[in-house]
Amino acid sequence: MPAGLYRALLTVAGAIIAILVAIGISSVAIVAAGANPGDALAAFFDFGARESSVSNSIARMLNRAVPLFLAGLAVAVGFRMNLFNIGVEGQYRIAAVCAAYVGSTFVAPAPIQITVIIVVAAAVGGFYALIPAVMKVTRGVNEVISTIMLNYIAINLAAFLVRGPFAGERAKGQLTTTTPVLPESAWFPNMNWLLEAVGLPAPRGGGVWGFLLVAVVVGVALWVVLERTKFGFDVKASGLNPTAAFASGIGPKRMVISAMVLSGGIAGLIGLPEILGDQHAFGTNFTPGLGYLGIAVALLGRNSPWGIAVAALLFAFLDRAQGPLQFAEVPPSVITIMQGTIVLLVVIANEITSRIALRREERRAARELGKVSA
Amino acid sequence: MNAETPAVQLEGITKRFPGVVANHDICITVQPGTVHAIVGENGAGKSTLMKILYGMQKPDEGTIKVNGREVAFRTPSDAIDAGIGMVHQHFMLADNFTVLENIVLGAEPRKAGVMLDAGRARARINQLAESHGLRVDPDRLVEDLGVGDRQRVEILKVLYRGARILILDEPTAVLVPQEVEELFENLRELTAGGLTVIFISHKLDEVLSIADAITVIRRGTTVASVDPADVTARQLAELMVGSELPTPETRESTVTDTVALRVSHLTLEADGRALLDDVSFDIRKGEILGIAGVEGNGQSELIEAIMGMRPVSGAVELAEQDISAWSTLRRREAGIGYIPEDRHRQGLLLEASLWENRVLGHQTRRPSRSGIWINRRAARSDTQRIVDTYDVRTPGVDTLALALSGGNQQKLIVGREMSGEPKFLIAAHPTRGVDVGAQAAIWDHLREARAAGLAVLLISADLDELIGLSDTLQVIYRGRLVARLDPSDVTPERLGGYMTGAITGTKET
Amino acid sequence: MLSKRFGRLATGTLAGAMLMAAAACGGGSTGGETTASTSPGTETNAPAASGLKVGLAFDIGGRGDKSFNDAAYAGLEKAKAELGADIKELSPAADGSNRAELLTQLVDAGYNPIIGVGFAYGEDIKKAAEENPDVQFAVVDSASNAANVTGLLFAEEQGSYLAGVAAATKAKSGHVGFVGGVENDLIKKFEAGFVAGVKSVKADAKIDVKYLTPDGDFTGFRAPDKGKVAAEKMFQDGAEVVYHAAGDSGLGVFQAAAAAKKKAIGVDSDQRQTVTEPELQEVIMTSMLKRVDVGVFEYIKAFQGGAKGGSDIVYDLKVDGVGLSTTGGEIDDIQDKIDAAKKDIVDGKITVPAKP
Repeated sequence: MPAGLYRALLTVAGAIIAILVAIGISSVAIVAAGANPGDALAAFFDFGARESSVSNSIARMLNRAVPLFLAGLAVAVGFRMNLFNIGVEGQYRIAAVCAAYVGSTFVAPAPIQITVIIVVAAAVGGFYALIPAVMKVTRGVNEVISTIMLNYIAINLAAFLVRGPFAGERAKGQLTTTTPVLPESAWFPNMNWLLEAVGLPAPRGGGVWGFLLVAVVVGVALWVVLERTKFGFDVKASGLNPTAAFASGIGPKRMVISAMVLSGGIAGLIGLPEILGDQHAFGTNFTPGLGYLGIAVALLGRNSPWGIAVAALLFAFLDRAQGPLQFAEVPPSVITIMQGTIVLLVVIANEITSRIALRREERRAARELGKVSA
Repeated sequence: MNAETPAVQLEGITKRFPGVVANHDICITVQPGTVHAIVGENGAGKSTLMKILYGMQKPDEGTIKVNGREVAFRTPSDAIDAGIGMVHQHFMLADNFTVLENIVLGAEPRKAGVMLDAGRARARINQLAESHGLRVDPDRLVEDLGVGDRQRVEILKVLYRGARILILDEPTAVLVPQEVEELFENLRELTAGGLTVIFISHKLDEVLSIADAITVIRRGTTVASVDPADVTARQLAELMVGSELPTPETRESTVTDTVALRVSHLTLEADGRALLDDVSFDIRKGEILGIAGVEGNGQSELIEAIMGMRPVSGAVELAEQDISAWSTLRRREAGIGYIPEDRHRQGLLLEASLWENRVLGHQTRRPSRSGIWINRRAARSDTQRIVDTYDVRTPGVDTLALALSGGNQQKLIVGREMSGEPKFLIAAHPTRGVDVGAQAAIWDHLREARAAGLAVLLISADLDELIGLSDTLQVIYRGRLVARLDPSDVTPERLGGYMTGAITGTKET
Repeated sequence: MLSKRFGRLATGTLAGAMLMAAAACGGGSTGGETTASTSPGTETNAPAASGLKVGLAFDIGGRGDKSFNDAAYAGLEKAKAELGADIKELSPAADGSNRAELLTQLVDAGYNPIIGVGFAYGEDIKKAAEENPDVQFAVVDSASNAANVTGLLFAEEQGSYLAGVAAATKAKSGHVGFVGGVENDLIKKFEAGFVAGVKSVKADAKIDVKYLTPDGDFTGFRAPDKGKVAAEKMFQDGAEVVYHAAGDSGLGVFQAAAAAKKKAIGVDSDQRQTVTEPELQEVIMTSMLKRVDVGVFEYIKAFQGGAKGGSDIVYDLKVDGVGLSTTGGEIDDIQDKIDAAKKDIVDGKITVPAKP
């Protein structure tokens, strides 16, 4: 069996075992909380009795997965270079408020309008990530610390902007503040046809957010960049062995800056599915915390776009059960427990499987050593 | 002597790892009070054998007897209890502790249960040092000690724990000739005092000068036990590889008149200390310039200056073009190859495949690159070429570099750096930690490239290698080139004198 | 493959991320064991099932916050006991990302009416109401924004005014404090009323005001550590009574008061009863009651009577929708003063500002 395939199969096997063990551990927690693990398991797969409920549930899961996927990608770009961009949280919030505001200031044909919003979001996110990158290469400031600090600034700045300079009108008695509502040309068409194609009714609410397509394109593009291009090779080399990369002519400063900006640019997109697909504005109810969740998703997905897609779907699948679990009288915090244990166990499983794979290759290499040379 | 009980007796030791037999039917008898050398190529099974003897691994078959008693070690502490101690190749000392603290670390004599009884420890150390001629000041910080002193501390550490049988793993790899001599003095005193030394090495001259008995291991099994008086280094080496041996001897000169690389007045200061002090030299096409020096005298800085990894004052010219202001990448693209001194740190992506390692340093050049893409197919097939040409023993080009033995990793690096027709090559310790077979192959490749007009800067701690390969020798001492020697009439001893600053001044030609 | 450095850092980061997540879900995780004390609860003579199915979606923090959400739940339980309603309550995810989904799930499960607790539901209720015109919705703390939505509003500024009167009367030095959870318009109403109440007693009173997080960052409602730090500072500076409108974070205010041996004023429910630690109960001299339970129950009752949405119901002092609790008897001695202020407000002699 080729070494690469063997490693891949081993990884998948490790992940599956880790998830099974995580289910076991969570079951203990469920029992301790006085509920029935069987009920909980059933709730996770309970997408509703009626077709419309199933449709809603699938839409909800996909809609949750899209921002998690983007967040995971953003974090993973940094991780690949041993850069800990904890700042994804701040980058996406500041990018979201700016993009939502800029998008509300003009009206253009939909493709242009949406492209401008996406570009603004990526640019703002990238710029906000440039700050810690520059601090790191010029002053050696650890990016973990600077990005955490910048998160506080971004969160407060976004909150200030949305109730100050960027605030839109609010209905009487409404307590939440939002940026001005986007013109309809900025409303990303939904992808309900995806569900209709398999014979399900269109889900209610925002439906399946069309930004899913953009996320898929970003994921594929990122995979190509990281796995097939010279830039991707530079990133990988810098991450695996910075000294060797430096000695091989890969400038560490340039790499830190470009990786951080790329990471921030992707981070800038995290908030767009919600803004373009559903809320049509950045508001005080805007979903927070996606940047931190992206760390867990990236770890679970082993920094590979495919893995992150699976991880994001898994997280979304678990998150979706928030309601069904409560209908089944199971505390919904089970979700967080499962997510946490799965990530931890998968990280452990990765270490174990990579050691097994390595030992196998060492053995094979040793066997070659024994052979008489041709 | 035969009447005595052997200190260590190994019989029929076999150790299998799944798919591979690391040790097979090993039989060694070590007499007490002797230095017994175990020689063999890297990968021949020496380390596995030592791990078995030191309790780090359990043999699948065979018996171990220590002083006539059969033992079965489960952990190193079992071995220590049986009086066996190990001096590792890489020192395991805490730099910011004193000698005394390092020696007693983990075996501290206690006063009232908690306090370190420094007085008792010092008395014991002094007594050990006295009786075995191991002079060290117990109160000096380890970070202030030279390599030879550190090794003595390691030996004392083992003796302090009551070892009567010492295993020394490649102890001379890090020493200059003078220090090697001192070490041998110490070892002789130890054996005179009744201790037994098991000495692992692949430096045959040293083995011949110190050992009372020699066992040769090849492909995991003992192939011969010889008396050093009866064999030459060459015979020993042939026993090790099982075939005829090459030597690093120079043939007729291929040096041309064209200067390939010229460095002038390289100077680098850090913390008020000159790391490089006005270093100037030329290397012509077809010339190998050897730089001799004790490690830490400016060799690394010189390499980094030429590679553009560190800003220095002075100029570097490649083929009469000033490249002083160029980036590392541009210098590589212009035809500078680099076999780094520490391949794990600077030369390899251990957790990446061989073909990705082939791309490293060549990521902007054909065949690795086409446009913005990495050309995976071309990189793979070119890696296969290197694997075939340089005899890299690997299951395939997708294997992780981590899985390869040191010699095979090094062959891959040499093959990579020779790719793309370099004009100038920096070869830093090109055969360090590499077995005899790979060493000969690497020397051959360097020699061929030299004949083809490559200019080489050779930096090495192996003086035979330096003398044998170089067309010109320079000695670097405290950042200065202090002597220029003709390799055809210099001995390792005299070279060692220049390296340690014992001989100064003269420029020879 | 994870390199060593990466692995170590990753594990550390992961632990951090998990801690954050754990902290974020803290409110929701305490699940179904807390019962608000105002609940008449488990009477056995509850009417037989009436076919009434009431769904309720909590705000972040969910059940067991010993305050706002629990008060809403008390009203729901009362409806179960007295009106024979079949009830279901759901808590949202820690990041509040699934509020709309909870409403949809309640609709799908056939609940009608459905109550959203908290102003954050305003927009989501509107959308859900438009998609389900046959279902009646109510939202606490937000105005009606559709024909089948009822806004359940409270005159927090009036209750806070009374809290201000009590605080200023009890604080001999005239130095008091206010800790707000999130600096939004709702919590500013509390501040405005409180400040007005304090000034009505002592015009030169010193009032420290601190918000834990800015508008849009709802973590201020569940950060007892921040609440504690803010209140500690006020007590150190000389404040004698601190009033909080900070949800879960109020617990930190009580802890600070207990440590400083000063007093605090609770909010939403009678916190002297809902807080479990005796040493914290003692510092709560009164609580500004926001009778969400009354609002929820009255709404359900009105729905049963056939009332339709499209308008707001304001629960003020006049209908005892807000007020002060007297548990512990600490404000019994100034009750006449409070009653006088209350009467002035009810009679319209005093208009309490809703903005600071």
